[in-house]
Amino acid sequence: MIYMYKIGVIGDKDSILPFKALGIDVFPVIGPEEARKTLDTLAKSKYGVVFITEQTAQLIPESIERYNREPVPAVILIPSNQGSLHIGLNRINENVEKAVGSNIL
Amino acid sequence: MKVGKILKVSGPLVVAEGMDEANVYDVVQVSDRKLIGEIIEMRGDRASIQVYEETTGIGPGEPVYTTGEPLSVELGPGLIESMFDGIQRPLNAIMEQVGDFLEKGVVVPSLNREKLWHFTPVAKVGDEVKQGDVLGTVQETSVVLHKIMVPYGKTGVVKDIKEGEFKVDETVCVLENGEELTMLQKWPVRRQRGYQNKINPDEPLITGQRVIDTFFPITKGGTAAVPGPFGSGKTVVQHQLAKWADSEIVVYVGCGERGNEMTDVLLEFPEIKDPKTGESLMKRTVLIANTSNMPVAAREASIYTGITIAEYFRDMGYSVAIMADSTSRWAEALREMSGRLEEMPGDEGYPAYLGSRAAEFYERAGKVKCYGSDDRIGALTIIGAVSPPGGDISEPVSQATLRIVKVFWGLDASLAYRRHFPAINWMNSYSLYQSKVDGWMDKNVDEGFSDNRTKAMSLLQEESSLQEIVRLVGRDSLSETDQLKLEAAKSIREDFLQQNAFHDVDTYASLEKQNLMLDLVLHFYDEGLRALKNGMYLNDLMNLEVRDRIARAKYLEESDIAKIKDIKVALTKVIDDLIAEGGILNA
Repeated sequence: MIYMYKIGVIGDKDSILPFKALGIDVFPVIGPEEARKTLDTLAKSKYGVVFITEQTAQLIPESIERYNREPVPAVILIPSNQGSLHIGLNRINENVEKAVGSNIL
Repeated sequence: MKVGKILKVSGPLVVAEGMDEANVYDVVQVSDRKLIGEIIEMRGDRASIQVYEETTGIGPGEPVYTTGEPLSVELGPGLIESMFDGIQRPLNAIMEQVGDFLEKGVVVPSLNREKLWHFTPVAKVGDEVKQGDVLGTVQETSVVLHKIMVPYGKTGVVKDIKEGEFKVDETVCVLENGEELTMLQKWPVRRQRGYQNKINPDEPLITGQRVIDTFFPITKGGTAAVPGPFGSGKTVVQHQLAKWADSEIVVYVGCGERGNEMTDVLLEFPEIKDPKTGESLMKRTVLIANTSNMPVAAREASIYTGITIAEYFRDMGYSVAIMADSTSRWAEALREMSGRLEEMPGDEGYPAYLGSRAAEFYERAGKVKCYGSDDRIGALTIIGAVSPPGGDISEPVSQATLRIVKVFWGLDASLAYRRHFPAINWMNSYSLYQSKVDGWMDKNVDEGFSDNRTKAMSLLQEESSLQEIVRLVGRDSLSETDQLKLEAAKSIREDFLQQNAFHDVDTYASLEKQNLMLDLVLHFYDEGLRALKNGMYLNDLMNLEVRDRIARAKYLEESDIAKIKDIKVALTKVIDDLIAEGGILNA
């Protein structure tokens, strides 16, 4: 039997609510403590992909770093409704650089 | 006896002819000033003599008198608390005679002939005594009971023995065969004093130095070398051992090092109280000084003088430790004499017999069953400093020493530079007594002691391999468990291994305290692992307040060491609380 991982999204309520329409679980948070706790809980409860808004991710760099090294969940940074901080894009660039040796994007 | 004539003088080496009656290693008196020398080579009637005093003003044609005796030391009450030069001349008595610096041809008996000692007989009239048997005792200092023994090779039935006040050279005992025994014995320094048989040393010499006792222990009757470049703290390590090691007698040989280091010993030791007896440390110490400005030939002899005195106390059944600082200077003295003798040089100009001479010296250590019918057990521990030029131990003296000694405390300049003292490098030091001592520790200190030691050692080793990765790609690329490992190893280094010799409390740590401290430091690692597994963040662990208390555990007085257990309990509680909170500190 193939195990089905779930998808979750963490961020401020206004930015993430639309994801609910796609059938993704949404977890609105306020403040770093709540964000960190939510991320840790999701990681433990079979979420395969966790989207997190850049604004929220900014508050909890350690936790983001921690899941970087683990296969699941994949923590993916997305812009929020206030626009992008380019953290997510930079991370993609960094990963590309690590993988192929130079920035080909 | 025939009188020889000087042919040649070259520094401390004098060549004389007409010496056909003398033997090699005989003591001679050179010129009419009666400088003391020793024959080290004979060719026909020509003798090469190393002179233990300054030879300025001596020239060819002057006479040389043979004594027909080998270079010997006087053994008897009066040794303790004294300071001798390399050929056992009492420096205090010489100073009273001629002032601060040694002069030529001063003749002072090694042991004070005027002082009266109270002799208490142990043997009774009619007892049959053989060599090594205790005739009586003299309370030499408040902590040292000097046992007067029957000299080697003498046996008989006691005819007369009396209690009372005697000078060292007065007869205290007469045997049936007419032999008169005094409290004074003479023994040639180059000959090892005998014993019944050697015993495998298994009891550690407790030094109160954490890195030594826990990681690289030395046994009573063992041998150790402390090589290190200058400034890395050889002398401080030697001093610490002389101060705190739990041997009953300490012989400190200052061989070719700075005079102020001997001054330090003279000033500090009387003030320090021995933790075991509560008396001044000087009351169990014999000092031999041949500082760098004293005659070089006597430096060669100073090591032998020291070890012979040490052997004498060992024969009384004491545990004796001899510190030689530094054997490199001794080897250099050998080299100088060898060069003047025009011998074929070996590596770096050292004589080819350097290795065998060093072995001869270190092999005089050991735990032995002494002569005497009471089968006393004595131990003689040798700790020799080596000063390899530039700190490179691939040079001949270090190598010759390392071949023989069983414990190697390698001092490291980079650790000293980082102010990590004692700068004993845990990666390349070793102790071949480890397995024996482990058993002893588990039995006498704590049954988990050796397990803890192995664990701490492997953490330190893993740290050094992790450090290489960190240097390449940075600390952040390590997993949190590896980062915790680094943190734990750092804690072992800073909170356990580092020890301040000049701090009143930290200078000495009992085995009990060492055990608790090591346990505490390792407990932090275990608890940290548990916390990480439960989803806690490393940063929160690093900022725990209890870590300060771990770091300060070393400054807890010996009477307060139960508090170390409290810290351990507190640590467990803090971690439990954190896990209960879901791994988040209330910032």
